[in-house]
Amino acid sequence: MLFKSVLLGGCVLFSVLGCSSQKIDSKPTINIWHWMTDRDPAFQELAKKYETLTGVKVNFELYAPSDAYAQKIRAAAQGINLPDVFGILGQKQDFVSFIKAGHILDLTPYMEASNNSWKNSFFPKALTVNEFGPQNSYGINPGIFGVPIDIMTIQMVYNKKLFTQLGLNPNRPPKTLSEFLDTGAKIRSAGLEGLVSGWGEIWMIDCLASNYAFNIMGKDKVLATIKGEVPYTDPDWVRVFTIFKQMKDSGVLARGLVTMINKTAEQLFANEKAVFAFNGSWCANVYQGMNPGLEYGAMLPPQASDKFPMAIWGGAGSSFVVNARSQRREEAVKFLIWLTDQDQQAYLSAATNNLPANKNSLSKIPAILAQFARGMDYATHPNAWGVSEFSLVIEALDYGIQSIIIGEKTPEQVAEEVQKIKERELAKKRKN
Amino acid sequence: MQHALYYKSKKFLINTLIHIFLISVAITCLYPLLWMIVSSLKTQDIIFKDISLIPQQLHFGNYIHALKEEGFGRSFLNSIFYTGFSVFGVVIIASLAGYAFSRLRFPGRTALFYMFIAAMMIPIPASFVPLYVLMNKLHLRDTPIGYILCMISAGLSVSIFLLKTFFDRMPKEVEDAARIDGCSKMGIWWHVALPLAKPVLAVVVIFNALNVWNEYILALIIFDSRKFMPLQVALQVFRGEFVTNYPLLMAGLTITALPIIIVYLLMQKYIVKEITSGEVFG
Repeated sequence: MLFKSVLLGGCVLFSVLGCSSQKIDSKPTINIWHWMTDRDPAFQELAKKYETLTGVKVNFELYAPSDAYAQKIRAAAQGINLPDVFGILGQKQDFVSFIKAGHILDLTPYMEASNNSWKNSFFPKALTVNEFGPQNSYGINPGIFGVPIDIMTIQMVYNKKLFTQLGLNPNRPPKTLSEFLDTGAKIRSAGLEGLVSGWGEIWMIDCLASNYAFNIMGKDKVLATIKGEVPYTDPDWVRVFTIFKQMKDSGVLARGLVTMINKTAEQLFANEKAVFAFNGSWCANVYQGMNPGLEYGAMLPPQASDKFPMAIWGGAGSSFVVNARSQRREEAVKFLIWLTDQDQQAYLSAATNNLPANKNSLSKIPAILAQFARGMDYATHPNAWGVSEFSLVIEALDYGIQSIIIGEKTPEQVAEEVQKIKERELAKKRKN
Repeated sequence: MQHALYYKSKKFLINTLIHIFLISVAITCLYPLLWMIVSSLKTQDIIFKDISLIPQQLHFGNYIHALKEEGFGRSFLNSIFYTGFSVFGVVIIASLAGYAFSRLRFPGRTALFYMFIAAMMIPIPASFVPLYVLMNKLHLRDTPIGYILCMISAGLSVSIFLLKTFFDRMPKEVEDAARIDGCSKMGIWWHVALPLAKPVLAVVVIFNALNVWNEYILALIIFDSRKFMPLQVALQVFRGEFVTNYPLLMAGLTITALPIIIVYLLMQKYIVKEITSGEVFG
């Protein structure tokens, strides 16, 4: 009897739960899915503001962590249940597959309307990641398919308080490599650490190496190297590798840098134990959490040559796309135009410590973020080069630089080793 | 005399080594738990500055902040609800199925059982997209019942396997005696098999409760509405893209760990009982 009652009760409850009706909202509602936990409160605030202004309800739904979000988006695409606006995580190839499946609206007509007013409000390089040029290798019709809501750059930061302590001018960070190397001795004698970075997670090494490669030999020669037309044993490349030896010899690099993870690097810099850090603009957010009183400034990596401008990695941080099948796509585009307008961008930037995608917002955001954002003038990114280096070559380059720093190999040896791997990979590619 | 001293010393030495080993294992298990609790009482900047296990100031407010975080309390209740119903469903279905596979003779019994066993080999993440599509077609996406059914389904294969193995060892004489007393097949399952299976049921309950309580990826995929999200999803609010709010996350984790520790404490007596008694049927 008891068993039957429990079973019956369970069945009734299940039925009630299964049949619960969904509340239908009479207001027009734009549904947006995202994974950005730290930006969610600001998004909710902006959604309220937009509803007050236009009467259109915007429903931001947060699905974190990002890997679970990526799975949800893929599942929703399979079930044709994507929301009106969403973000795509992953490689450019994932983005392409969504466009090819007809899930993403081409935003070019909206971007180009009113004399390109929407398009021109963004940092040009922020659009690169969402843009497909004529005759792109992906077979996508040329156009802009995503809206950047913020940007990021990877630069150096320096501690102003420690600069004063070392007798350096806190308002004038080193501009040239020699000025930077000169600080090494002072840093060591003061018992501090120099440059910290997540070089244990090796990609940040080739980021700085490619910055110097652009500065020493220019973009064309770097791309020619990737295409296999210039060898890594070229004197300019040896010079790039030598910079890391010079940094190590001058004492400007922190001890244990080769195996340091970025979290440790951030902790050391935030706790005022390191004078310099090489990090992404997201560090503003991290340092704020670790040490709200930290006084620091952003700077470009010090120039090693006057021949070419310094380059840093940067581009769109997070982007939204509009569901091409959505019945509310026009309203969704209108909302995105509003969201990326300078006032909303300034609010998002100040509330979340991210850099705005709208270049007209800089005067309204905190100074440190504006410094990072100005770096966009020097920004480049491997995704925008149109050619990509073999992963084994990048790996050899990163490990090689690590070997130089720990004194295991000379820059010339590393150059030769990297070139050998490059030739091997090129030969494999030709065979295939 | 010398022999006695030798054996005493040997015993002492072995015991000391065993205790050192056990203490180190215990420390390894307990340290993360202790760190979690201690960190939940610190502030964000103190966590990065002071690594000691005894904080100078205790910030119990982190617990209030975590509980006040939007949706945390509701998600807590959701998790209790999903865990309770999923475990109940698994226990009922798995014990019935396990008993049927063990005792009833019907065509395709072995093939069907092996199908269930084969399901154990499929990792849950591999079935996310098909499950999503299925729930969508059944109009059960974004409903608690859809999620509960998925979780019951995920827990069934292992539970059926455990219970079938247990019922296989149950003496037929016990059933015969119940049958003579007038019990039906369902009666035998309810009055005889289930009470005897308490130790295995305890394992099934703990295993499935942990499974459902800690699950969040399927919940994120099945649910669109925030109001249905379980606790593990709510905890992600404290983990930013670049910054994690460790004090609130640790406070949230401590709150999250409590119910599952209670379930374990409630169920462990049955498991210990079986281990200490050696054999249930004898």
